Amino acid sequence: MSTTDVVGTGAVYDRGYRPYEGPRGRRGAATFALYKASIRRALGLRRSWRQKVAPFVLLGVVTIPAIVNVGIGYVTRNELFRDRIAIITYREYVGVSSALLLFVALVAPDVVCPDRRQHVLPLMFARPLTGFDYVVAKVGAIATILFAFSFGPQVVLFVGNMLVSNDALRYFTDHLDIVWKVPLAVAILALYYAVIGVSVASLTNRRIVAGASVIGLFLVTSISSGVIVGEEFKFGGGSLAALINVLALPLYLRDLVFLGHIDPESPLNGVNGGGFFAVLTYLVVLLAGVAVLLYRYREVEK
Amino acid sequence: MDTGPVLRLEGLTKQYGGVTALDDLTVAVPRGRIGLVGANGAGKTTTFRLLLGLARPTHGRVEVCGIDVAHDPIGVRARLGYMPEHDCLPLDQSAADVVSTFGELSGLPARAARQRASEILDLVGIDEARFRPISGFSTGMRQRTKLAQALVGDPELVLLDEPTAGLDPLGREQMLALVARLGTFGISVLMATHLLDDVQQVCDHVVMIDAGRLVVSGATDSLLERTGTVTVDVGPRRDELMARLAVTHLSANVVEGLVEVKIDGDADMDMLRDLIAELGLPLYRLSTRLTSLDEVFLRRSEVLS
Repeated sequence: MSTTDVVGTGAVYDRGYRPYEGPRGRRGAATFALYKASIRRALGLRRSWRQKVAPFVLLGVVTIPAIVNVGIGYVTRNELFRDRIAIITYREYVGVSSALLLFVALVAPDVVCPDRRQHVLPLMFARPLTGFDYVVAKVGAIATILFAFSFGPQVVLFVGNMLVSNDALRYFTDHLDIVWKVPLAVAILALYYAVIGVSVASLTNRRIVAGASVIGLFLVTSISSGVIVGEEFKFGGGSLAALINVLALPLYLRDLVFLGHIDPESPLNGVNGGGFFAVLTYLVVLLAGVAVLLYRYREVEK
Repeated sequence: MDTGPVLRLEGLTKQYGGVTALDDLTVAVPRGRIGLVGANGAGKTTTFRLLLGLARPTHGRVEVCGIDVAHDPIGVRARLGYMPEHDCLPLDQSAADVVSTFGELSGLPARAARQRASEILDLVGIDEARFRPISGFSTGMRQRTKLAQALVGDPELVLLDEPTAGLDPLGREQMLALVARLGTFGISVLMATHLLDDVQQVCDHVVMIDAGRLVVSGATDSLLERTGTVTVDVGPRRDELMARLAVTHLSANVVEGLVEVKIDGDADMDMLRDLIAELGLPLYRLSTRLTSLDEVFLRRSEVLS
C-alpha cells in the first residue's frame, strides 16, 4: 500500500480503483437489497442495543401465551380433564398478534421517516429503483417481520401441543387445517398492519408524529366503532359500523378463515353479508393505503 | 469502451407551470470530465433530474451513455452515480453500512458491495472512521462519503452537484484532486458548479448555461483565449522594469507582484525580452495570460442576452 500526498499535508490512502466486472442485478436486486436493509433496521440489527430492545421484547411478549399454554399442557398431561384446559386457541392467538400494532407504530415510522427527513430518497431513486419498488420493499419488510412475530409463536404453540399430547401424530392429523389457516390469517393481519403503518408514516417525516398517528388512528376508530355499535351485538344486533374499527377489521377475516363465518360474539354478529362487507372494507383500506404510498413515493415528477 | 458522446441533449426544454427551467438545450459532450457551469437557478439541478429520469422533459430528448432516458430510465440509472449537493446521508448509520447498502441498491451482490464499499472508502480517504455513525462526521468527511456512495456501483458517468460546497480550502483541493483522478479510472464526470475555478482546474470540457439556455459548450482549452497581455515575473526588481517600460510605447501594470504588459504582435514581445536582458533582470516567468472561464462566461452571456 502506498500513500499519496494529494495536497499539502492531506494524506489519502491510495489503493487505486478497480472496475466492477461481476454480475449486476437491476430492479429486483435493488428492491431486495432495500427490503433486507429495512428488515435489519426494523430489528435494530447493526444498530445499538437500544434499537434491539423493543422488537425482541415484543416478540417475547407475544410468545408467552404459547409457552404458558404448552407448559400447562405438559403439567396436566396425565389428567383426565386435560382436553378441557386450553388457555388460548389458534384462532384467538391471531388476535393476540394485534398487540404487534405497538411494534408497527414504533418501527414503521423508523423505516420510512428518516429517508424523507434526511433527504435519502433522491439517492435511492438515482438507483435502478422505482417508487413502486420502494413501497414493495418497505411494506414487505414490515409485513415479513409481523408475519414472523405472529407465526413464530403459533408454531411454538402447535409443536408444543403436539409434543405434550398423548399421540403427536394423531394431534397433527387432527389439526391439519391449522397448517393452512394460521399462516393465511396471520398473513392477512400482517399485510394489513404493514400497509396502514407504513402509509400513515409516509405522510410525515417525523417519527414521533407518525407513531402517534398510527396509535391514534387505531384508538379513535375502535372507540368510535364501540360507541356506535354499543352492546346490542351480543344479542344479534351487530352493525356495519363495526367495520370502522380498523384495528379489529383483520380479525373478522381471521374468523372467516377459521370459522367460515363471522364470529357470533363479534360486533358484526347478525349483520346481513357481514363477512362480505368485512372483506370489501379490508380490500378498500388496503388499496387506499397502497394508493397513498404510491403517491407519496412517486419518484418521477411531472 | 464506447467512445460516443456520454451525454446528448436535443432541444431539451423543461417548464414548471409558467417557469422555463431549461430552454431548448442542445448539446453533445464527449466522455471525460465535464463541468456544467451556471449561476444559482441556471438549470443545473433540473438537468441532473432529467438525466436521472426523475423528471420528464416538456420537449426534447435526453440520451445518457447512448441510452434514451425516456425509453429506459432504469437502464440509465444503473450506469450513473449521483452525488447531490444537499445533505443526503442517513446520520445514524456508519459510512461502511451506507456505502455498502447503496452498492447493493446499484445491483451489486451483497458480498461484492461490502468489498467495494471498503475499497471506495479507502479511495476517498475514509478509513478507520467508516465504522462510526455519519452524524459525527465533518463536512469534508460527509462529502467524501457522498462521493463514495456515488462511485460504489462502478458507474460510467457520475453526476456531482457542487462537490466542493461547504469545504475548507484543503478539503476543496482534496475533493478536486479526487474528481480529477476519476477520469483516469475510466469514469466520466459531470460536475455542476457555479465555481468556475473548480471547473478550470479539473474539467476538460465545459458546458455553460444561463437561465436555462446554453451559453457555450466546448473543450476547456479552446475556450481560454489569449488576452494580449504578457505576465512577467522578475522578482523584487519589478520597479526597474516598470521605469524602463515607461519610456517605451508599451503600457504596463503591476498586479499582485507581477508585471502585466500589453503587447501587440511579435515585435513587442521581442522588445520586452530585449529590455529584460539589457537591464540584467532575473526572469522567473514570462507567459501569455489567458482569459479565465469567468471572463468567457460573462462575455458569452452578454452576447446571448
